[in-house]
Amino acid sequence: MVGYTMFLLDTISFNHHRENTEQMKKLITNTFKQLIAISAIVIVASSCNKDVPDPVPNTFAKPTGSSIGTIISNTPNFSFLKAAVNRAGLMGLLLDSSKSLTLFAPDNAAFIASGIPVEAAIGTLRPGLLDTVLRYHLISQKVKAAQIPSTFPNFQYPTFINPAPSLSALLRLTTFPTTRNGAWINNIPIKGTDIEASNGVIHTVAALVTPPARFLWNRIAADPDMDYLEAAIIRADSGVAPTNAASLIGALNNIGANLTVFAPTDAAFQATLTGAIYLALLGQGLPQPDALALAQQLASTPDVFQNPALFGALSAQTVKGIVVYHLLRSRAFTNNFPTTLTSYPTLLNSAIASHPGVALQATPGVPFFTAASVKGIANATASNLLINPTPDPNGSTDQHFLNGVIHKIDQVLLPQ
Amino acid sequence: MKKCKGLAALLLVMLPALVFAQNAVIFGKVKNESTKDLVSAVSVTIKETNLGTFTDENGTFRINLPSETKFPLTLIFSSIGYEFKEVTVAGPGEVPDVLFKQSSSLGDEVVVSATRLPTRILESPVSIERVSNTTLRNAPAANYYDVVANLKGVDMIASSLTFKTVTTRGFGASGNTRFNQIVDGMDNQAPGLNFSVGSVVGLSELDVDNMELLPGASSALYGPGGMNGTLLINSKSPFKYQGLSFQIKEGVMHVDGKYRQPSAYHNWNLRYAKKIGDRFAFKITSEFIQAKDWLAGDRRNVLRNKPGGEIIPGTRETDPNYDGINMYGDETTADIRQVLNGVAAAAPFLAPYISTLTGSPINVSRTGYSEKDVTDPNTINFKLGGSLNYKLTNNLEAVLMGYFGTGNTVYTGSERYSLRDLRVGQYKFELNHTNWMIRAYTTQENAGQSYNTTITTRLFNESWKSSPTWYTQYGQVYLNAKMNGIADIEAHNLARSQADVGRPESGSLRFNRLYDSVRSKPISEGGGLFVDRTNLYAVEGQYNLSHLTGDFAEVLVGGNFRRFVLNSEGTLFADSAGPIGINEYGAYVQITKGILNDKVKLTVSGRYDKNSNFKGRFTPRATALFKLAPNNNIRFSYQQAYRFPSTQQQWINLAVGGGILIGGVPQLKQFYNFQNNPVYSFNELSSTGQLKVQSFGEFKPEAVTSYELGYRGLVANQKLLIDAYGYYGQYQDFISRIIVLQSTTSNPQPSDIADPTKRRNLSVPVNSPTKVKTYGFGLGLEYRFKAGFFLGANATSDRISDVPPGFIAGFNAPKYRTNVTVGNNGFGKNRRMGFSVAYKWQDSFFYESDLANGSVPAFHVVDAQVSYKLPDIKSVVRIGANNLFNQYYITAMANPSIGGLYYVSFGYNIF
Repeated sequence: MVGYTMFLLDTISFNHHRENTEQMKKLITNTFKQLIAISAIVIVASSCNKDVPDPVPNTFAKPTGSSIGTIISNTPNFSFLKAAVNRAGLMGLLLDSSKSLTLFAPDNAAFIASGIPVEAAIGTLRPGLLDTVLRYHLISQKVKAAQIPSTFPNFQYPTFINPAPSLSALLRLTTFPTTRNGAWINNIPIKGTDIEASNGVIHTVAALVTPPARFLWNRIAADPDMDYLEAAIIRADSGVAPTNAASLIGALNNIGANLTVFAPTDAAFQATLTGAIYLALLGQGLPQPDALALAQQLASTPDVFQNPALFGALSAQTVKGIVVYHLLRSRAFTNNFPTTLTSYPTLLNSAIASHPGVALQATPGVPFFTAASVKGIANATASNLLINPTPDPNGSTDQHFLNGVIHKIDQVLLPQ
Repeated sequence: MKKCKGLAALLLVMLPALVFAQNAVIFGKVKNESTKDLVSAVSVTIKETNLGTFTDENGTFRINLPSETKFPLTLIFSSIGYEFKEVTVAGPGEVPDVLFKQSSSLGDEVVVSATRLPTRILESPVSIERVSNTTLRNAPAANYYDVVANLKGVDMIASSLTFKTVTTRGFGASGNTRFNQIVDGMDNQAPGLNFSVGSVVGLSELDVDNMELLPGASSALYGPGGMNGTLLINSKSPFKYQGLSFQIKEGVMHVDGKYRQPSAYHNWNLRYAKKIGDRFAFKITSEFIQAKDWLAGDRRNVLRNKPGGEIIPGTRETDPNYDGINMYGDETTADIRQVLNGVAAAAPFLAPYISTLTGSPINVSRTGYSEKDVTDPNTINFKLGGSLNYKLTNNLEAVLMGYFGTGNTVYTGSERYSLRDLRVGQYKFELNHTNWMIRAYTTQENAGQSYNTTITTRLFNESWKSSPTWYTQYGQVYLNAKMNGIADIEAHNLARSQADVGRPESGSLRFNRLYDSVRSKPISEGGGLFVDRTNLYAVEGQYNLSHLTGDFAEVLVGGNFRRFVLNSEGTLFADSAGPIGINEYGAYVQITKGILNDKVKLTVSGRYDKNSNFKGRFTPRATALFKLAPNNNIRFSYQQAYRFPSTQQQWINLAVGGGILIGGVPQLKQFYNFQNNPVYSFNELSSTGQLKVQSFGEFKPEAVTSYELGYRGLVANQKLLIDAYGYYGQYQDFISRIIVLQSTTSNPQPSDIADPTKRRNLSVPVNSPTKVKTYGFGLGLEYRFKAGFFLGANATSDRISDVPPGFIAGFNAPKYRTNVTVGNNGFGKNRRMGFSVAYKWQDSFFYESDLANGSVPAFHVVDAQVSYKLPDIKSVVRIGANNLFNQYYITAMANPSIGGLYYVSFGYNIF
């Protein structure tokens, strides 16, 4: 740039030396001095124009501290977990400091409690299985203990398992942490909270949180002690194909559903049905003993729901009303039950919005609730949950499925 | 004598048109005393008569004498830049060569626009700047229009290489409706688009005789509009400047490749004028410019929280709702919570989680394109003009004149507009008498293929993937990424990259085909094209009564009538039912009287104007010139000025991205049924949450009252010309826009206003109750050295005060600016060398506009040229540079970064 100006000045100067008079020379010299002065100012000044400034990028706080992966790698009490994470191939994810995660971390005791007695045993497990189980312990945002709600029903967070990616990229198995009555994830107690990591937070859990693998209907259809419930549901669905999403079976098979099923045992159904049929027969003028015998006979098999003679008393509508009264539109693990009697709406409220619902109550205990009940509005007494949190298919409460949770109860809940 | 008669006889044979009584002629040549070069366009008149001519391109003159001519007679030779000369001629025939001496005197220029009467610039009663053709010829600017930028107090806003807008005393804008531009007596504001087209249409460089700039209020003489100043550009008479001239300028731009690859600049000029006989002359002029335009590349992020928004940090990669200033299409924004909530409704198991993400809006903008992608890089400007001039008598000349311009350029209004195949023609017929003038002209505007880049690119985005689809994809990918624990901004960027799958690559065949289909569809049909064939018809006249009133005072009266015919086929104006007419008429009178032995010259002017849509308005002006000493004058003036709202402010009806822009006339308020479906103040709702029905007062012209005190004089042995001024102005009834909300339901309820799906935004022009004051000063110095060296320097300042907080005045002027010019139009051997250097500096200032608000950095620009004359072939060769140091600068927010332009030129017969 400077060169360009100098060229210009040189040209002027060159031509000027040809002028003859001294006066002219002097004048030119003076003019020249000014020119050079101006040019100098110009050169100095011109070097500092500001073009349009570049946009300033937003900055985001750089994560500090160790990653979740580093923490579990360096904590002896997580050595089982470390081995499992490595075998599952998930260490990369946990080390990625750009992520934002919450890990419900089973410590070594949790592994042992879940039937994995020694670290070496982890090496015998299928990496795919470990991957699935561990992904169920991960949620995709940093949720500190204080942020875990204590509301009913359980707040649900998507985990890292998409059970059917081909159906939708947005499908996720969800997990249900709560700080009601302590701190829990599903029905597993949270032992320690808020181990801060650069890419999230770690809470330690008392046992492995097993991801559900089946649908509610799978259990209801297979459980020999839920034959009446199964039959009642089929009856309730009369005229609606099970493949129809609006059917109860459809809902119980639907990954998108989120239900709590209070499943009366077969005995409970028998008792209720016997009583109801007996009363109906008495009303028809049948003598008491005959009525009882016939009622007992009629109610002795789940086929009772398909008996045309009873279609009047047990209409599909009536059965459906009873069945949906056993379903909550949310997932209620026992640990999330209220400790004082509290009413919650059921699926029946979809039809009768003002229905008072069912009343739940639980008695907290260690490590699991020792007693819980649900009371139908027309029941004389509350139905007891048959407490046995052994995971599906062997337990009877907190039986966790892809689309809900089942608690067996000892009475049929009566909505009216 | 005999020879003479022979020649005369020969002429009679050759030019049969001239076979009327020609008794004798005198003829001769004018030469430069020092170089002996022939001098063209020198006025030659016979003393005490109105007979005269000009020297032609060969420096020769010829005057046919009436029979009653008596000898000896005196010829007067005059031309700007030469000393006045009288030569006594004893008898008819050839006059010995007249040797014409270059003058270095200052202040001998004559201006017309200050009082509409020829006045020595030293005695102008108001501030005025003049650019003579000598200055233009030697200016380093690549385009004559740019020379104006070096005048005292001028701010030039460059929307593109060929679209420049000047203003003085603040309120600069690309489409400056407060500053008149008048070319050969014709207002050249495009009647529909409302910007002055002086740098695009109008005169070709070689046809410019002079430019006069009146800074400050000037509507008392030039009618509504000139609140901040008036620029008058006058062309060369074909009687005076004759022959073939051309200039070829070839240059290079973008030399550093910062915004574009280095590219060529072509600027070709042609002018041909011929006098045929004594009475008839014609000219044809043309100019062609082609280059790759400067690029507006401000990628800073804008938060659109008010008109023009504010600059905030953020880039496309770091702000999901990024809206770059010179990025287009990213104005489309939506809250993806709608999508997320939709997912939550469909997948209840995600609803609680989604609720943790949707506590506050997640605004996301569509991906924009840069200016390079969406505007035609080729700036083209083609001008064609010409005139037929006939002297009906020695005192009366008829002129039929036309200018036509077309091309591609870029203009900055409320958005950036790509003006493609814009065609504007101005045609006039004029009768010029010594004492009076009458002129009829029309401006014919056709927006051609012009389009709004923002609207077009937004619609283009919709055309390759509609926003509902795009945002759904975005929201889902975003959610999925979030559910994979990906950091928020990365989730956004991943979502964008997925939603942008299939986004046409700029410059690809697919991009061009789609883009062309959107931009060629009128705005009213969901495209970006604005159809505009609005025309202006005007008649004006002036009579100088001084020959009758001379004993008492000089009296000048005039009047004009204008009719705008808005015709946008419903795409810009509310004219779908047919063109809308707007009439304006006005009249003025000016009385000038010298008192105290002419030591004081008082001028009083008054003007009355009426527009169909507005009440009549009177504007006074009073000036006084005090002659302190010869060539030392003090001037004082008081003026009012105002402008009627522009045609768009009256009648626009244009749906833009966020709402509808409507004009201020009552008919539009009726059309939108303000009476029965009330409109509510947006400001009130957003600031207090209250619903308040917006009321509208009378929509009236905005006005300024201005006082100016100045001094112009020659000192230091007539070598130094000083011009200094100070002014003070008060503006009122500013026209600005407010946003109101109106229900769109069939049974309007106030509750609709809170629901974005049941309301619409209307932007309505109103008069602001705010009054602001402006003041400033300027000082200019011009010094002539011997041997033709000159130095000019000026410094000016403009300020605004009393601006209430939150009021957007759009003052847009630096507090200080300065220009320094040095040069010499002829030095060295035979004065063949020439050079000039112009330096401009202006301070940084805060620029406000509907498009962007922000600081325009201070800048320095150096333009320079050196030339060498080749008198044997009447030519000049020049090397020049604009922005010599290639230091990019912007003149306004959202306007292009202007870099260096380097050229060589060859000019033939340039005068």
